Amino acid sequence: MKKLNIALLLAVLALAVYLSVLSPAAMQAVQGKFLSILAPFLRTGTAVQEQIGSMGKGLKTLDEVEADNRKLTEVNRVLLTTNNLLREIEAENNRLRLALEYRERSVFRLLAARVISRDASTWWNTVKINRGFEDGVETDQPVLTDLGLVGKTTTVTKSESIVVLITDETCRVAAKVEGTREQGILSGMRIQESGTSGELQLNFLTKNAALEAGKNVYTAGISNGVFPSGILIGKVKEFRTRPLDGQAIVEPAVDISQTEDVFVVVGAK
Amino acid sequence: MKAAVGALAACAGVFFAFLLQQALPPIHVLHGARFVLVPMILCYAAMVLPFPAMLLAACFTGLLSDLMYLNAVGGRVEIALGCSIVFFVIYGCIANGFRPAYLRGHWWPVIPLSVVCTWAFLFMQFAMISLRREGFVFDEAILWRSLAPGLLAGLFAPLLHAVVKPFAALIPENPWSTRSY
Repeated sequence: MKKLNIALLLAVLALAVYLSVLSPAAMQAVQGKFLSILAPFLRTGTAVQEQIGSMGKGLKTLDEVEADNRKLTEVNRVLLTTNNLLREIEAENNRLRLALEYRERSVFRLLAARVISRDASTWWNTVKINRGFEDGVETDQPVLTDLGLVGKTTTVTKSESIVVLITDETCRVAAKVEGTREQGILSGMRIQESGTSGELQLNFLTKNAALEAGKNVYTAGISNGVFPSGILIGKVKEFRTRPLDGQAIVEPAVDISQTEDVFVVVGAK
Repeated sequence: MKAAVGALAACAGVFFAFLLQQALPPIHVLHGARFVLVPMILCYAAMVLPFPAMLLAACFTGLLSDLMYLNAVGGRVEIALGCSIVFFVIYGCIANGFRPAYLRGHWWPVIPLSVVCTWAFLFMQFAMISLRREGFVFDEAILWRSLAPGLLAGLFAPLLHAVVKPFAALIPENPWSTRSY
C-alpha cells in the first residue's frame, strides 16, 4: 500500500475517533445543523412516502360513502346537542368562578406542531415536527395529542425538532395505573411490529398486581421529570408475572403512525 | 480527474440514496424491513474508485449515516458520530480489493458485497444499540429487518451497474478500458 494511502486512512480514522469523543450535546448540535440543511429534502421525501403509502387507501365505493355520511350526520347531531349543553354549563361555571374568585386552573401551554417526517431508520421510532427553538421548543419537552402522550423532543434545530416516540425503547416514562397504587417505568419495545400502533411495556410493578385489561395508564409525573402527571398513555392489554416483578403490556392511546398534528408542552400557563 | 469526478458522483449518489430511502415506506410483509440503498452505492463506488477517492466516499457516507440516525435521548447517544465512518472505511477497503477484478470486467462481486455490507451495517447498528440497552433480544422481525434490506440491495446492484456504466464511459480515462492498475 502506498504511503499516501496509509496517511489518508489514518487521517480518516483520526477524524472518526475525534467525532466519537464529542459530547452528546455537541453531537446534537452538529446533527441539528445538518438536519436544518436537509429539512426541505426530507419534507419532500415524506410527502412522497405518504403518497405511496396512501395509494388506493382513499378509494371507497358509493355505498361506503353513503354509510359514512349517515354515520357522520348522526355523530354531528349528537355533538351539536352536547356542545349546546356544555356551553350553558361553561357560562354557569364562569359565573360561579367569578362569584367565588377562583384562580384560573393552571394548565400547560401547548404549541401546535405538524409531523413533517417519519423516521426511515430500521431500529428507532422517531418523527420530525415543524417546530424548533425559534418557536420556543427545547430539548426534553413532552409531545402529546388530544388522545394521549406521543413522546418527547430530543434534538431541536431552528425550525424543526426530533421527537422520540413512547414506542421507542429509549423513551422511558414514569407511569401509574388507574384505580390502583401501581407505578412503574414504561418504555417501548426494541422492535415494534410493522403497520400497527405498537406495544409498550410497563415494568417494575408488584408481582401480585394482577391488572385487568382495559385499565388506563397515565404519566406519574415524578419531580424533575420530563412528563407532567395525568397524561393518558394507553390501556393495559395484558399482565405478566416475572420472577422479580410484574409487567403490563400497554396499548398506546395514540396511533402514532396515523398522527399528523401534535402539541408540544412548552411550559405552564 | 476521473477519480475526482467519481468520488463526487459517489457522494452525490449516497446523498440522494438517503433521500430516496426516506421516501420509501417500510415493507410490512417483510416485518417492516426498509430499503437501505446507501451501503450498496458505497460498495459499488469502492469497487470502481481508486483508494483515496474510495476513502472520501466512505468518510462522507459514514458521516451522513451517523448524522441521519443519531439518537440522543436523556443526554445519551447510542451510536456516536464516527462509528459508521469506521465501518464504511473498513468495508470500503474490502470492496476496493475487488477493484482489479472489476477493471477486468467482472462486476458481479458487487452483488454479494452489497448483500453482506447492507446486512452487516444494519446488524452493527442493532448490536451497538443492544450493548447500550438491556442486552440482546432476537426474534424473527430482527432477522428480517437486517437480512431483507441486504437481499433487496443485492437485487438492485445489477441495476445500479447498468445505470452507472454508460455514464462512466462518458468521462475520459474510462476504467473499463484501462488494464493497468
